[in-house]
Formats: sequence, C-alpha cells, structure tokens
Amino acid sequence: MAEEENGAAAGGGGGEFYLRYYVGHKGKFGHEFLEFEFRPDGKLRYANNSNYKNDTMIRKEVFLTPSVLKECRRIVSDSEIMKEDDNNWPEPDRVGRQELEIVMGNEHISFTTSKIGSLMDVQTSKDPEGLRIFYYLVQDLKCFVFSLISLHFKIKPI
Amino acid sequence: MANAADVDALDFEPDDDDLMDEDATVDVDASSPSHIPKLKSAITAGSAPKKTKGRGFREETDAGRTNRMSGRFDSLDSDGGPGPERSIEGWIILVTGVHEEAQEDDLQNAFGEFGEIKNLHLNLDRRTGFVKGYALIEYENYEEAEKAIAAMDGGELLTQTVNVDWAFSRGPFKRRNNRRRSPHGHRSRSPRRRF
Repeated sequence: MAEEENGAAAGGGGGEFYLRYYVGHKGKFGHEFLEFEFRPDGKLRYANNSNYKNDTMIRKEVFLTPSVLKECRRIVSDSEIMKEDDNNWPEPDRVGRQELEIVMGNEHISFTTSKIGSLMDVQTSKDPEGLRIFYYLVQDLKCFVFSLISLHFKIKPI
Repeated sequence: MANAADVDALDFEPDDDDLMDEDATVDVDASSPSHIPKLKSAITAGSAPKKTKGRGFREETDAGRTNRMSGRFDSLDSDGGPGPERSIEGWIILVTGVHEEAQEDDLQNAFGEFGEIKNLHLNLDRRTGFVKGYALIEYENYEEAEKAIAAMDGGELLTQTVNVDWAFSRGPFKRRNNRRRSPHGHRSRSPRRRF
C-alpha cells in the first residue's frame, strides 16, 4: 500500500527503526520489570522478571517479518510520539520507572518517566497532552507485543 | 565496556535494514544538540548522527540494562533460514489495513474459508476503542495460512485494502531480493476477493 508507506515516511523518515520499552521497579520482590524491543533486523525480544513466589525470568525472542515491523512503525508514527518531549513529565521515582526509546529515520528519542497509574496521573501532570500520547502508545505497543508473544509461544504475558 | 558489549550483542548492520527505505542516507542535522549523549545507544553506534531528544540521553549509562537484555533468550527451534517460522501451535499471519469498525465475525468470514481459525486477535486502540488496524490470525496448517495470504493480500475487506503476510520469520531480514513470502518462491495468485 503505497499510501501507507508514504504516511510512514512522512511520520519520521524511512530507514532505521528500533524501539525499546521498559517498565519496572525495585522492591520487596527484587527488580521486577517488563521490557521488550524491536530490532532493525526484525528480532523481537521480550523479558519479564518478577521474583514474586520465586518466579524465574521469562525471556523470549523471535524474528518478525518486515510486515510486522512496518505495522509497529505505523503505530508509532500515527501516535506522533516523536514530536513530544519528556521535559515536563514526572521523573522516575521509587514507585517505578518507564523508558521508551525509539529510533525512526534520523530521529532518536529516549524518554523516561514514572509509572502512570491512571489517566488521572496524566491529567494532573505538567504536560497532559504529551503524556497522554505516551500513555496510550505504550498500551497499544504492549497489546501488540503480548499478542505476538502469546500466539507464538503460547504463554500468557504479564 | 558496556557499549562495546551491546554492539556485539546486537549484531546490527545498517545495510541490512531494507524495511522501508530506498536510500539509507541520513541527514546530518546541524542543529543537533551540542552535548554528547551519555547513553549512547547501541543501535545508533557507528551510524550517522541523529536528532536526539529525552532525559534518557542525559542519564548515566544504565549497566542494569545491559544485564537485562543480554544473556539467553528462549526461542523456538529454528534453522535461521529464510521463510516463515512456525509458532508453537500453528502458523500466524498478520492482516493490516483492517477497518476500525471491523468485527471478529468479519475476519472469521473472510479468513475462515482457508481453514479453521485457531486464534484471532483483533486488538483495539486503547484511546478510541476502535480496532487498531491489524489482526493476528492462527491456522493449524502451513497450507491454510499460505492460501489466506495468497488470496487476501492486497484484497478488500470492508471497503479497505488489506495486506496479509506471515507474522514470524526464521531469521533476520535479508536483502530485498531474498525476501520472499514463501519458500516456494514465486507463487501464483488467486483472484482478489471482496467481502
């Protein structure tokens, strides 16, 4: 679909694409986190660690087709996250930390913020518009990754 | 050194990235911030400078991250060759361009005729509640998935053109001329279908 390719190009240039998301905190059950990344060669990596009830770390990886990476790129591009800035977002704290790193074309973002419990946290922040984009994009990306991982490996993420 | 280790682990060649672009040139942006990012991303090491933005560049390198993402990751056995990869219980295809008001039934009707759909994920946009635009479908057999791709890729579903392809691959992206959807090379196409 040429139109879609143009759309993706307009939303951040062609070329490289890399995406990494991390959410986690250090607490009673050790370092609990969820992290995934889409690499430029198509590799999707997923790691989920919780020491709760002596759970072991789940680490999975699988190669995606270019079509899947393209859809991921479309989701990012449509969100317009690359226009945002984390300057006025809540700093990571004891409750937790989120990181979103994206390379798309010649732009590279590496945003960090605290965990976001609900839309209320978004609305009361200093940059509700930007943080809302982050908040929904992260949910859409998680949803995409969980579907891919659970279908491929037949595990229930989270 | 953490960065060097990262680069090794990534094994990323910019040349191999033929996903979107015809030209791999990246503009050197004169307005780039003058500070050098502390967190030097493994992914951009060795490639052209980029416009960077975010607190992640101003923080100390996170050694924990190297630990988290290095080490062994489980994967299904694969010979790393070209072509689609089998998932644990079947073959997964990705449908893109799905209409935002599509229902599961629409996909069942369109894709059920190629074989029994073992699993269907039609995820929603978390903000709007409408369909996000893609669907993941699982068939038990390779042939069913292959038929669905051949018949539906570029076809029409609820007035929108959809693209259909395998979701998983046995190895990293190869150059364009190696990228075939099926190991059988050129495949004959059935007539487009409408629903």
